[in-house]
Amino acid sequence: MHPSVEAFALAAGILALGAALVHRFGFPPLPVYLLTGLLAGERLPVEELEPLPSLGLLLLLFSVGLEFGPDRLRELSGKATRAGLYDALALPLGFLLGLLAGLDLKGAALLAGVLYVSSSAVIVKLIIDLRRAANPESEVVLGVLVLEDLVVALLLALLGGHGAGGFLGGVVMAAFYLLFARYLGPRLVRFMEGLSDELVLLLGAAFTTGTALLFHAVGASEGVGAFLSGVIAAGLGLRERLEHLFGPVRDLGVALFFLVVGAQALKLLKGLTPLAVGLVASGLFLKLPLNHLGGARAGLGKKRRLYSALYLVPRGEFNLVLGNLALAQGYPLVAQVAVLLVLLSIPLGALLIRYAPEIGERLYPKAPKSKRVAPSRLG
Amino acid sequence: MKVEEVVLPGVGRKFTITVQSGDRLVIVVHHSGKRELQYFEAGEEDEPSATLDLTDEEARELGAILAGVLFHPEAVGDTQSKLGAKVIEWIKVLPGSKLAGRKVGEIPLPPGAHLLAVDRPGAPLIPNPGPEVVLEVGDTLVVAGSREAVEALKRSL
Repeated sequence: MHPSVEAFALAAGILALGAALVHRFGFPPLPVYLLTGLLAGERLPVEELEPLPSLGLLLLLFSVGLEFGPDRLRELSGKATRAGLYDALALPLGFLLGLLAGLDLKGAALLAGVLYVSSSAVIVKLIIDLRRAANPESEVVLGVLVLEDLVVALLLALLGGHGAGGFLGGVVMAAFYLLFARYLGPRLVRFMEGLSDELVLLLGAAFTTGTALLFHAVGASEGVGAFLSGVIAAGLGLRERLEHLFGPVRDLGVALFFLVVGAQALKLLKGLTPLAVGLVASGLFLKLPLNHLGGARAGLGKKRRLYSALYLVPRGEFNLVLGNLALAQGYPLVAQVAVLLVLLSIPLGALLIRYAPEIGERLYPKAPKSKRVAPSRLG
Repeated sequence: MKVEEVVLPGVGRKFTITVQSGDRLVIVVHHSGKRELQYFEAGEEDEPSATLDLTDEEARELGAILAGVLFHPEAVGDTQSKLGAKVIEWIKVLPGSKLAGRKVGEIPLPPGAHLLAVDRPGAPLIPNPGPEVVLEVGDTLVVAGSREAVEALKRSL
């Protein structure tokens, strides 16, 4: 039998074990994937698991594009946009931090992106798992994530290429894809509706990986390619269908991806400097006051503002993409910050989100409520 | 009643329904089909008084009940279509109903509506009930006739 089967069985087994352990406490499984990987470390045969983890990341970016594409901007409420603007202040602040840390302009811009973007995939999963979707702060947080993902996709397109050629290639490819969706999309919608689920699944997989490869080939970021394929697929009216079809495949891939991130983290974090740790710490706390303010501007109550700031702590997919890019372009410091930030912020964020109501209760104790008399209601 | 709808990217759609009394109902329809319901009393902003999760199927049944569509056993769907403009309706005698304790002969049946049977839980079906049969809470009346007559009867009860 192929050795990859053995590696896969091992990985799936320890993931399931980890998820089962926290399931009993009503805790979301995502942070556990990371920690399991961290524990397994180099004993995990990472190479044998490929292409599942890489595919997991591409599919993750694809579904982020599917759900958080530019067409969502039209549906955003004004309050989410206001909160998003405050949130975006993290970019110039991160850039400044980068310059202070001695990075050049490009490195500082990469660092700003790493500190700025929160993980929509992780946060959405936490919101659903912890049953917070109906809460008012979730609406604001999800709106902020739409803005973040668009800004970072643009940032990645700008910084992602290898030199000017890569940048131009990326822009030309993106323009080509968007024009394609704009002019041929409407005609394709009805055609797509007639296809069987299986064909849509295969076409979607080929389209996503093919686009990522194409972007890579012209020297642009493959992450942007995968994100853009999601945006295009949403434009073709395939959002619900693909979400439904890809969901389980993606979840498996994402679990393996985070496992591998955890397993490789120690190697990357060798020679960690206090500077990197300081940047991670400031990254973790930089956005809290900004998002708290943004929540206030979005009209959330005292507690809900706090929740919205806590919800935005987890970082994930885009931070790692930016980190990989930084590593490839010779900024190991930024890569270390990205990995450590993701490693810390996901478990920490999950804890903060899980216990947000308790924290809120502690900080803003509820005034004794006057009991409403409603006998007819009880009758 | 005021209904606001917003998209929750990655989750689904959220509907906020404010009714006349000022109470609010927040409904999230997940992509997965799950429905999450939160009920807020009027004036309460932060903490819901009650929450409820429904599966897709449960939500649809609840929706049908709220919309006033009555449920019929599966087999009846066929019969009903054959009857055309005539319908068969099941009317339950609920606690506090003015039917409880009355004789069948006293039911104000509009012309064109007929009482076919009384279904009493735990007892054999009473077909063609005579006027002396006394109705009890929990009985189900099986009524047939023209749609208008049956509707009129339901309204009068």
